[in-house]
Amino acid sequence: MNRLRNAVVLLLLAVLAVTMVGCGGNGEETGGESSFKIGIVTGTVSQGEDEYRAAEIMVERYGDRVVHVTYPDNFMQEQETFIGRVTELAADPDIKAIIICQGVPGTAAALDKVREMRDDILLMVGVGHEDPQVIAEKADIAVDRDEVERGRTIPEIAKEMGATKFIHYSFPRHLSIPLLSQRRDRFKEECEKMGIEFIEISAPDPMGPDGIPGTQKFILEDVPLQVQTHGKDIAVFGTNLSMQEPLIRAALDAGCMFPEPCSPGPTMGYPGALGIDVEGMSGDMKAIMDAIEEEIIAKGGAGRFATWPVALNMTIIQSLAELAFQAVEGKVDLSDLDAITAQMEKEADSEMLVRRYLDGTNYYVVIAGSYIFGADN
Amino acid sequence: MRKRFQLKGGFSAADLLRQNAVPILFLFMCILGVIVSGQNIRYIAQELVSRLARNWFLVLSLIIPVTAGLGLNFAIVLGAMAGQVGLIVATHYKIPGLLGLSVAVVLSVPIAVLLGISVGHVLNLARGREMITSMMLGFFANGLYLLVFLFMVGTVIPVDNPEIMLDSGVGLRGTIELKYCKYALDNLLKVRLFGVNIPVATFGVVIALCLGIRWLYKTKLGQELRAVGQDMAVASVAGINVDRTRITAMVMSTVLASIGQIIFLQNMGVINTFNSHEQIGTVAIASILVGGASVTSATVGHGLAGTLLFQLLFIVSPSAGQRLMGNAQVGEFFRVFIGYGIIAVALLIHSWERKVSLESASRQSALKGQAKATGNM
Repeated sequence: MNRLRNAVVLLLLAVLAVTMVGCGGNGEETGGESSFKIGIVTGTVSQGEDEYRAAEIMVERYGDRVVHVTYPDNFMQEQETFIGRVTELAADPDIKAIIICQGVPGTAAALDKVREMRDDILLMVGVGHEDPQVIAEKADIAVDRDEVERGRTIPEIAKEMGATKFIHYSFPRHLSIPLLSQRRDRFKEECEKMGIEFIEISAPDPMGPDGIPGTQKFILEDVPLQVQTHGKDIAVFGTNLSMQEPLIRAALDAGCMFPEPCSPGPTMGYPGALGIDVEGMSGDMKAIMDAIEEEIIAKGGAGRFATWPVALNMTIIQSLAELAFQAVEGKVDLSDLDAITAQMEKEADSEMLVRRYLDGTNYYVVIAGSYIFGADN
Repeated sequence: MRKRFQLKGGFSAADLLRQNAVPILFLFMCILGVIVSGQNIRYIAQELVSRLARNWFLVLSLIIPVTAGLGLNFAIVLGAMAGQVGLIVATHYKIPGLLGLSVAVVLSVPIAVLLGISVGHVLNLARGREMITSMMLGFFANGLYLLVFLFMVGTVIPVDNPEIMLDSGVGLRGTIELKYCKYALDNLLKVRLFGVNIPVATFGVVIALCLGIRWLYKTKLGQELRAVGQDMAVASVAGINVDRTRITAMVMSTVLASIGQIIFLQNMGVINTFNSHEQIGTVAIASILVGGASVTSATVGHGLAGTLLFQLLFIVSPSAGQRLMGNAQVGEFFRVFIGYGIIAVALLIHSWERKVSLESASRQSALKGQAKATGNM
């Protein structure tokens, strides 16, 4: 018995050793370049595919000059590992800038640790989860999505589509989040200005007893009812991620309008709702947009559905990386709003609205111009 | 369990290997990791030193309940919450440096004592299921913590401090920077050795705790804790107040955890108000298990060695994984697989070890019985 167990333990060790040594040759060599490098920290694809692909694109563009590492999937529980990965990048003297996107909890502490080690390094944060004020003080530049401003742009798109009523699906837990309730108030205000009737509907909370299926079922049943009462010229909007696919499907069937998913971008909602297989298109937003447009027109939704043509997190990473290369060489000033906007528009190949979120800091928020599917037809 | 005289000539090498299989396995993986990751040794040393300074105290707070037979105390999360309360108050009143930390400790100790007493009472009612109960208590206390700091601060508790509170004036910010007592203990006495900064004062505190625990076991209370841990019925017959002793153990562990969390956070420099405490339970428990501790026996040595090995593996494994696989995210998956896989193996080996010890002990007594029987014939 004893011997058997010892043998098993030894065998396990041997297997592990062989695996590690055997694979050792395939390791990717970094370094060896005289010019400086930048580091990008993203999640893995299981946390957010857009960010990971964007970092891959940058590695392709600059080769060894971009070092891409990932933070733990379980980032809430493994902040030390996340911080370790960031300081590990900073330990390489060739690395002159670090981009963290998304700025998961632990970013502020990680930025502090890096600053302790070095002061000749640029720190950039995209889509921060922590308090903007804290991040703004520590990072050289931070970029995020402009939720409050979307309170103005979304009703504008609805108006452009010809909507007379705007239906807002949400639930109390979401509306207790300051940013979302601010945005709702802005919706109301803008709709009033444009003569659109604003209707608020409370949907079941996906974290509630019926879970996500309960919320999705409610949406699928409620949208046709709303169309029966208010007619087809109504725009629907939902604040929760799980609502987007049923909203698109129901709006398409019932013939109403859908101006924007809660977190807009080609990969959000539409591919799932329309059954589009994005395989082979990963990272190619243009191809995904074309596939969606074809499907929307075929199903009779031309001019009534829209989204952003850019995956914002991708644009943020790519722009920050480009800005990092320029800033290290002293070619760009990170407090120059126009330069930041120009860079983001170049990466996104679309119109972007960038503004400073906190006065006197480099904390920027951004929204992209929308694209209405089949509007030209 | 440790001394098994039936083996002629004392310990054999295989026996020693088996009894320390978990730490040896970890050490082996760490060495491999260091080689494969190709990281700068000075970086590894610096990162390790700072992680040890952060974690040792917290891990050591687990030892006393194990001795008293309460198993691994998942309720150190409660102690951590108490520590955070102290730090938040100290930050609110802008108390600088070491004084701020002392105030935090003074404030958190009574809260931790109170929490420890309540947890102790509950665990006395849930004998035999202490570990899962303490874990559930952690979740419950988290709800209470959220209620107090998200809702009651600014409404029931009159606080007005925009630096740490949300703009709406109710509830704390998700990220609170410890502006006034950041690094206070670490920077008190810093020695640079071979290019590695060593926070001597922090390690001094840890050493004091180690000596304190040793001293405790020599006192009457320490003996009682051990007696209760070995057999509650026997201890009770011997005139020890079992319930009170178990509560004392929980109080000591909770208080130590609160101080441990204060040390941890002064090194991080930032509190994630609503989830800093959640991270420590699992990591601390995994660390002490890696050191060779079990649910029934844990020593200072287990805690110190375990934290060292666990943190070392987590420093080198992300890079090692990335270099082996040549892909950022596969490296991350590999790290999780190896890191947590080994912990699972560790637990398996523990139960094997226990089973074998029990088996050989019963075989031994059976042999004795047989010998007696033949002797009598």
